[in-house]
Amino acid sequence: MKSLFRALLGIVLLVAAWQLLAILLNRSIIPTPATTFRQMGELISSGEIIVAAGQTAWKAFLALLLAMLIGISLGLCLGLSGTLYDMFRPLLMIIQAVPVIAWLSLVIFAWGIGWRGPVFLTFLSLLPISIFTTISGVHNLDKDLLEMAGLYRVPRRKVFSKIYLGSLLPFAIAILDVSIGQAWKTSLVVEYLCGGSGLGVKILMARMNIDFSGVWALTLIAVILGLATERLIKEGLKGIFRSWVTI
Amino acid sequence: MGHHLTVKRLSKSFGSLPVLDDWDLQLKSGERLVLLGPSGCGKTTFLRIISGLEQPTSGMIKKETDQIGFVFQEPRLIPWLDVKGNLRFVDEQGDIGEILTQLRLTGFEDYLPSRLSGGMRQRVNLARALITRPKLLILDEAFSSLDFKVKVAIMEDIQQLWLTHRFSIIAVTHDLKEALMLADRIILLSARPSRIIREIEVELETDRSPSMSGLLRLEAELIDMMCGDELNG
Repeated sequence: MKSLFRALLGIVLLVAAWQLLAILLNRSIIPTPATTFRQMGELISSGEIIVAAGQTAWKAFLALLLAMLIGISLGLCLGLSGTLYDMFRPLLMIIQAVPVIAWLSLVIFAWGIGWRGPVFLTFLSLLPISIFTTISGVHNLDKDLLEMAGLYRVPRRKVFSKIYLGSLLPFAIAILDVSIGQAWKTSLVVEYLCGGSGLGVKILMARMNIDFSGVWALTLIAVILGLATERLIKEGLKGIFRSWVTI
Repeated sequence: MGHHLTVKRLSKSFGSLPVLDDWDLQLKSGERLVLLGPSGCGKTTFLRIISGLEQPTSGMIKKETDQIGFVFQEPRLIPWLDVKGNLRFVDEQGDIGEILTQLRLTGFEDYLPSRLSGGMRQRVNLARALITRPKLLILDEAFSSLDFKVKVAIMEDIQQLWLTHRFSIIAVTHDLKEALMLADRIILLSARPSRIIREIEVELETDRSPSMSGLLRLEAELIDMMCGDELNG
C-alpha cells in the first residue's frame, strides 16, 4: 500500500513538472497535460487508435513468436554442439551489433513499406537474446540429472522432453520477460520508419502534420499500452515461475 | 549361491592421482555388503565403476546382472516432475502404488520434490531405484545428510524390502552404525589410494536396531580397528 502511494506521488510530481515546463517553454512544442489527456480521450473514443494499437501488437507478437520458436530451436542446437556454436557465434554477434537503421534500407528495398519490415526487424532484434539465453540454459543443464537418466537407460526422446525441455522452461520465460517490452518498442520504431500501419505510423503522421499534442498523446498511449501488456504477460508468467523458484 | 559381482585386481587413477589400488571382492546373490572407509578414499568411485558411470584404469569386473538401482547421495530428482513423474521417468510399467506404500509415501504422488522434506526426497530416490526391480541395489552414502531418526526409519524400511525382494546391496558409508544396521559383511578400506584392509562378517539377526547390544559391541570393535595405524594408511 505504501509503495502504491509512493508510485502515485511520483506520477503526480511528474505531471506537475510537465505542467511547469509547458508553462515555461513553448506550449505548442510541449502541450500541457490537460491538452494531451484531452487529445488522448478523443483518439481513444474515435476507435481509430484501438485499430492502430492492434496492428502494432500483432506485428510485435508475430516477431516475438518467431524469435522464440526459431531462437530456442537454434539455441538448443548450438548449446548441444560446440562445433556449431563456434561456427555460428560470429554471425550472431554481427546480427546483434548491426543497428536497425542498417537493416532498414535492405528491408525497404526488399519489401517496401508494409508489415514485413517491422516484423522482420523486430524479429532480428530479438533473435540473438533468444538464442544466447537458450544456449546458456543448455550449458547450465544439471549434469547429475543426465547421469541419472543414463544410469537407468532412459530413452533419449524421454530425456529430451523431460529434462532438456523442462530445464529450458525458466530460460524461455526469461526470454519472454526481456523481449516483450523490446518487441513493442522496436515495432513502433520500425513502423515509424517503414511501416504501412500501426501506432508508429500514427506518430509519424502526427509529426508530419506538426500536431505536437497528437505526438505526445500517441506516445503516451503507446507507453501505457506497452507497460500494461508487459505487466499482464509478466503476471501470467509469475504463476508458472512461482513453482520453479522454490526448487 | 552364485556371485552377483566379481571384482579382480581393480585399480583406478584420475590422471596421476591413484584412487583405488588393487581391489578384489565378490558379492553373493542376496548379500548386503557395506564398504566402510574414510572420506575421499574412493568409495563412490568404486560404485560409479560397477554401475558403468566410470571406467577402471585396470582390472576386471564381472556382473551377473544389469538390473541396478542406484540411490545417489543427493536425491537427483527432476524438480519439475512430481513424485509419480520422477518414478515414471525411469520405469513406465512398475507398480508405483506398491512401492510408495512400502516406503510410506502414499498420498505424496502428486507432490513436487520442492514440497518434500529431505528424508522424503531420499525415500523417493530409493523408490526410483526400487521401481526398476533391481537385482543389485547401490547406496552411495544415501542417508548421510539425514538426521538420525529419519535415517533409522529408512534403514528399517530397506530391511523390510530386502526381506521381501532379496536383492543384493552394496552400500558405502563412513557411518559405523549405518554400516552395522545394514550389512551382512563389512569391508574396511584404507585412506586414498584405498586398499581393502579387512572383511568382517556381521553375524547379527536380520531385525536390527541401533541400540541392540550386539551391534554396540561390534561398533566398539570397529572403532578400535579404524583407529589402528593400518587403516589410516
